Amino acid sequence: MTDPLLAAAHVSFSYGPARAGRDVLDDVSVAVPRGAIVGLLGPNGSGKTTLLRILAGTLAPARGAVTLDGRPIAAMSRVELARRIAVVPQETHATFDFTALEIVLMGRYPHLGAFQLEGADDIRIARDALRATGTDAFEARAFATLSGGEKQRVVIAGALAQASDVLLLDEPTASLDIGYQFDIVDLLVRLNADRGTTMVVSTHDLNLAAALCGELVMIRDGAVIARGATADVLTPANVRALYGVEAEIGVHPRARHLTVTAIARAH
Amino acid sequence: MKTSPPPRRRADIRYRLTAVVITFGGLLVVVSVLAPLVGTTHVSLARALDRSVPFADNVDAQIFFIARLPRVVAAALVGAGLATAGVVFQALLRNPLAAPETLGVSVGASLGAMIAITLLPPAAIAGVSAVSVASFLGSLGALAVVYALSLARSRGMSSTVLLLGGVVLTTFLGAIVTFIQYLADFTKTFQTVRWLMGSLDVGSYSAIAASLVPMACAAVGYATLPRTLDLITLGPDAAAARGVDVGRAERVALVTASLSTGAAVALGGPIGFIGIVVPHLVRMLVGADHRLVLPASALFGAAFLIGCDLIARTIAAPVELPVGIVTAMIGGPFFLWLLLRRAR
Amino acid sequence: MRRGGLTVAIAAAFAACLAASSGAARPRLVAPSGPRDAAAAQNVDTPHRVVSLIPAVTEMIFAIGDGARLAGVSSYDRYPPDVQAIERVGGLLDPNIEKILSLRPDLVILYATQLELKARLARAGIPFYSYEHRGLADITQTLRAVGARIGSADAANRLASTMESELAAISRAAAGRPRPKTMLVFGREPGSLRGIVASGGIGFLHDMLVVAGGDDVFGDLKRQSVDVTTEMVLARRPEVIIELRYGDRLPAADAQRIAREWDALPAVPAVRDHRVHVLVGDQFVVPGPRVVDATRAFAAVLRAR
Repeated sequence: MTDPLLAAAHVSFSYGPARAGRDVLDDVSVAVPRGAIVGLLGPNGSGKTTLLRILAGTLAPARGAVTLDGRPIAAMSRVELARRIAVVPQETHATFDFTALEIVLMGRYPHLGAFQLEGADDIRIARDALRATGTDAFEARAFATLSGGEKQRVVIAGALAQASDVLLLDEPTASLDIGYQFDIVDLLVRLNADRGTTMVVSTHDLNLAAALCGELVMIRDGAVIARGATADVLTPANVRALYGVEAEIGVHPRARHLTVTAIARAH
Repeated sequence: MKTSPPPRRRADIRYRLTAVVITFGGLLVVVSVLAPLVGTTHVSLARALDRSVPFADNVDAQIFFIARLPRVVAAALVGAGLATAGVVFQALLRNPLAAPETLGVSVGASLGAMIAITLLPPAAIAGVSAVSVASFLGSLGALAVVYALSLARSRGMSSTVLLLGGVVLTTFLGAIVTFIQYLADFTKTFQTVRWLMGSLDVGSYSAIAASLVPMACAAVGYATLPRTLDLITLGPDAAAARGVDVGRAERVALVTASLSTGAAVALGGPIGFIGIVVPHLVRMLVGADHRLVLPASALFGAAFLIGCDLIARTIAAPVELPVGIVTAMIGGPFFLWLLLRRAR
Repeated sequence: MRRGGLTVAIAAAFAACLAASSGAARPRLVAPSGPRDAAAAQNVDTPHRVVSLIPAVTEMIFAIGDGARLAGVSSYDRYPPDVQAIERVGGLLDPNIEKILSLRPDLVILYATQLELKARLARAGIPFYSYEHRGLADITQTLRAVGARIGSADAANRLASTMESELAAISRAAAGRPRPKTMLVFGREPGSLRGIVASGGIGFLHDMLVVAGGDDVFGDLKRQSVDVTTEMVLARRPEVIIELRYGDRLPAADAQRIAREWDALPAVPAVRDHRVHVLVGDQFVVPGPRVVDATRAFAAVLRAR
């Protein structure tokens, strides 16, 4: 078994003063194999966004450590980390009127020197990234005028331009219409297949996790309650434990992956 | 949502930067050359530069070199200083309505000047009046408070905390300013009122030279900022995820913009609207990339204030308007129009 | 903190006379206002508890010998020294109505613009005299009017005539001499030549300058005061600069330092010829009996070379 590309080992974190047994994350470990799409699945407030931020290096864990290729990320410089890990947040709000291309070009920051300006190569990479996400037509449009789905795709393009090995996504489809949800899933699956980008997706959406992720880490109240291949772990019993909901899970013949039908509140 | 065809702009940042520096720089040069020649008194450049006439008898030369030229230089420095501070504050606070006045640095400078005018004996330090020195110290004091506020939160600057702190500081210090005015002897109150209207009539080069020190420090800081400002406006996490040292960048932004504001207010008094109007105007012309907006705002801010000062000293001849009134008359309606446009 | 002094009179000049557009030459009789006042004027009873909010009028009352009748004076009063013992009731911006009423005055001398105070006094049935600040000639007019109002018309008229003849004498003495272009500076930002405020051709200080033999360099602007910039000073080239400072005293060293701040403009004739003078004293702010002394001070400075 090869070493995981990205791993969190015994990570704990709390936002306020530590209270015994009430940490946001309590002794959580995650191992992300190279080229996999791993889902962090759990209800809101379970700590999965915090875990994602710790994996990204934005937050430092109170205990435990995150390693990339075996190296602790705390020992890496911010720029070095940015070259290896890119983050797609749930929503991106641009205060000023940047164009879509300008947003994507910002992904080139970790690859440029302090006073270096983007050159033709960087622009080509940015345009390729826009094309890969189907947003090249928006290149010169103001980012703020795009729809939610278009914005997310542009941000993903920006993450692609960052040319990282790992892509961390926080609730990538939470604020999108259902059509765009399919677009994003298709895009991510394709990127993973074409480029081998390792992905970690934090979500509460069972069907997104089923459609997209090969592996799942189920988190509730700051602790991992189940982990493994999606086919093995996504069971009615686990869904009941995670969400308190009765659900029917099966492989839909046309979708060709697991689908989850929520039925009723579990009692 | 109505989508108008986007303006075609070349993506190449190097080209755009060169174009920006040439156009705005050219504008500044033209304005700087013309402004000292225009005024209520007719001055002939030929006669001003005529060395055969002794300086003491050469009225044209005296007016050109003692009254007008320092004024144009001061206007350029103050305009550039306030405009760039506006750009940086707007990025730091992620708020397009932020201005150099927002965090209270301007009011701190005014308070310093008030105290000097009403309480201190008249004095000059190395050719710079005590009022200007006290004003700059006042701005540093306000900066110290805001800086301490920003550090109080263990996890980096929150723009909300900064904005609220700035509002409180502005209100509190503003009340002290009013209180001092109320208590003071009436002639001093009158002087404080005059100071608060802003004046670029520096009359000598020593005040300008003194202001160059903090402005140069600010410029050095500004040089490191533009790209990081772009990234910071997407949010601190987004910036950090792309490799930006967000805490350090925010501290540099706060200090440089405050130095720039403090120096500008110490030199010319609190002149409003430049810090908020110029960045927006410039963004409408060059886009949002701070590597273009920051230098363009410096150049355009300088030219703009030189122009406003020119209007201030000629439009109501033989008397002069305070320059702050002209910037408000131009800036106010423009700002309203900007708000209406955004609301569409 | 020591209150700045009688400079509130300047406040009256700047604030209360915005409506005044006429020059100093036109004398205006400043009459008591209000029907109650008119009735009281015809009354045999002369006021014995007078509250005066105007330092100039306070000085006038003392000068005609009726200082003992003052029950209250303005907070800014400092002359003559006898005022120290009298109750303070505020000034132009902050009259203390309760204090005034508690003194049970039978006449209150106030500024024409103190409308709210007038209304309150009318409601309380207390007569008042409305003072308006005008030019030099109006000082003696006011003196006569106030004197009549408080029942000392003879003393007031004598003093007014004396003042007028002394001023005329100063004017005659200056008649044969050249009239230097003079910039009369009311104030500026301390320590620098910024924010200069100077006489603009209207007001009692301007009139005093003219009587003393000076030519107001900004006189053509016809304003109470002018914001003067370096360019204006250089363009107009005044031959004499008189800076007024208010307060009791200024050490000679300070006065010299203030005068030397003008050395930044060596080409101005007044600076070149060392004709920059700093005059100190409240008599330059108060349009009262001491204007004669003040005018003499102007004349002395204008004569000196």
